[in-house]
Amino acid sequence: MSQNLAPPIRRALLLTSLPVYGLLYAPLALIAVFSFAPAPGSTTAGLHWYNDLLHAPDVLAALRRSLTLALGSSILGTALGTLMGFGLSRFRSRARSGFAAALPSLIIYTPIIMPSLVFGISELIFFNLMHKATGLFAAGLLTMGIAHVTFQAPYVALVVFARMAGLDPNLFEASHDLYANGRQSFLYLTVPVIRPAIIGGFLLAFTLSIDDFTISYFTAGPGSTTLPIYIYSAVARKGISPDINALATLMIATVIGIGLLQYGFTRQKDRQTVPRTGD
Amino acid sequence: MAEPAMLPRIAGQADAATSSAPTSGIAPRGAIRLEGISRVFGGGVVAVDRIDLDIQAGEFFTLLGPSGCGKTTLLRMIAGFETPDAGRILISGREMQSVPPHKRPVNTVFQSYALFPHLSVAENIGFGLRMRGVARPERLARTEQIMALLQIDAFARRNPAQLSGGQRQRVALARALVNEPEVVLLDEPLSALDAKLRAELQVELMRMQKRLGMTFIFVTHDQHEALVMSDRIAVMEQGRMLQVGPVLDVYEQPRSVFVAEFLGLSNIWKFTPRPGNMAETAIGALSIATPITTQRTAMIRPEKIWLYPEADAPRDRPNMFAGVVREAIYMGASTQYNVALAGGAIVLALDTNNQAAERSWGPGERVVLELKPANIMLIDG
Repeated sequence: MSQNLAPPIRRALLLTSLPVYGLLYAPLALIAVFSFAPAPGSTTAGLHWYNDLLHAPDVLAALRRSLTLALGSSILGTALGTLMGFGLSRFRSRARSGFAAALPSLIIYTPIIMPSLVFGISELIFFNLMHKATGLFAAGLLTMGIAHVTFQAPYVALVVFARMAGLDPNLFEASHDLYANGRQSFLYLTVPVIRPAIIGGFLLAFTLSIDDFTISYFTAGPGSTTLPIYIYSAVARKGISPDINALATLMIATVIGIGLLQYGFTRQKDRQTVPRTGD
Repeated sequence: MAEPAMLPRIAGQADAATSSAPTSGIAPRGAIRLEGISRVFGGGVVAVDRIDLDIQAGEFFTLLGPSGCGKTTLLRMIAGFETPDAGRILISGREMQSVPPHKRPVNTVFQSYALFPHLSVAENIGFGLRMRGVARPERLARTEQIMALLQIDAFARRNPAQLSGGQRQRVALARALVNEPEVVLLDEPLSALDAKLRAELQVELMRMQKRLGMTFIFVTHDQHEALVMSDRIAVMEQGRMLQVGPVLDVYEQPRSVFVAEFLGLSNIWKFTPRPGNMAETAIGALSIATPITTQRTAMIRPEKIWLYPEADAPRDRPNMFAGVVREAIYMGASTQYNVALAGGAIVLALDTNNQAAERSWGPGERVVLELKPANIMLIDG
């Protein structure tokens, strides 16, 4: 595509893109560099601050909570989001135009575009009321988990919905034509065919949960400090310290790793796709 | 019509999906009856309009018509993907309105093939048997058998994405046939293929149908395809069946101008009846063999018109017209001549090229056409 552009325009685009990438990645790189800062009283850079993290019980406890929360909410969020994406795509194939056809994307997008601050506060108020009324829903990992599932499911649904929309609708008819009832068609056709989307959605949900601060902050209770909340309070208390840099670097590495995994699954999906007709 | 199935049956092969339903009446396995079938889409579009139809067991039946005529909707109602707004569908004598697609004794070959992208060729073909709970050894045996029959066993382990269009078409066909359904529904299955492959597969489909003795309902907009393959065809337009019958009858004796024009080339003239069973048309008075009653349109196929060099034309016969060749369209086996008569009317005449060396005409040359009275068909309206 860029080959069609005149050389001066190409140069100009390149020159614009470099600062953009710089602004995107330089801060991250900076944190990573600072994380290898020498220990107090030493002059050699090294893994000192990483070592510190391993011996900080608060950090390890927060990490454990974050992982528990992310894993639990992602599993539930993926299951619900998959069903949601599947259901909405089947709904769409029946409604061809008008409000009914736009409804699925509306349902999916609204939670996604909702400001997380508003989302967090409304969850806080909701759980408070529920707690007063029923005695359940005490602020803690459970309320955080529920809140995470509610923002994860639409993302998963979006990924699954997109995959479903790219499939030949005749596939589902073909499965019924070949004696599969609704359950069999879902298990033996839908799930395998959208598996890359489900896995991709899960990984997305996981990264969303593990680095979520705003919504977690409002729904957290005593003793449910996750890694992002820990980092925030540590920074608020004593400013940026090198151990926070090390922690942030680890999180960046994790998220990039998961991102690469997700990319791999998306690629696999493309390879499997069959053209709709002919050669 | 139905030949006995020559595909050797494997012991213990019970037809689970079909033998459980109670049969009523004496309709043979694979016969289809449509009674007053209608389908109206949202916005009041009448896709199918009160269709009655009987399809014999073991018949190769083609629904032919332009796009939007309702032929695919009709097929989808037989498969169960669409529900008729009125009427009854009977397959092998059993009512089908309340039977969901997965319980109908039919299998469909889709225009898009709809092969499952996550399964290999062999797994695609075995899908129906697997869903019906056929045990693995029998499933594999039947899958291999049908793959051998359709010569696709070499690709058994490949993914559909790795196949050519023709190979995919065969897999889609095998996936339907392996279930030995009572009826096979084919929705323009050849339309995505190139001409040569298409011609090959047309013959193969026909051979397969005769060999297995199943009822085939084939949907196409291609009149040539319909003529080549079908036992009987139904020509559809705007949700209605204009004419149903053996291929030869529909082609030779179209009952409406639409059918005549849709199926092959034709010369069609309105006429006024004249004494002596004559028809006064735009090209002049024609002597007609069939008695003229209420019909007011005359039709003759281009290949039924005799051409003579001006000097050799017989003088003592009716319906001889002199004209000048306007265009000569060479089509290999035959040549189509567009001949302008004295009054300016153009008549299409087709001449086989079996003696092209001795007799062929170029533009501007004079010819004499003979429209034998027996070859002129009368159409109502």
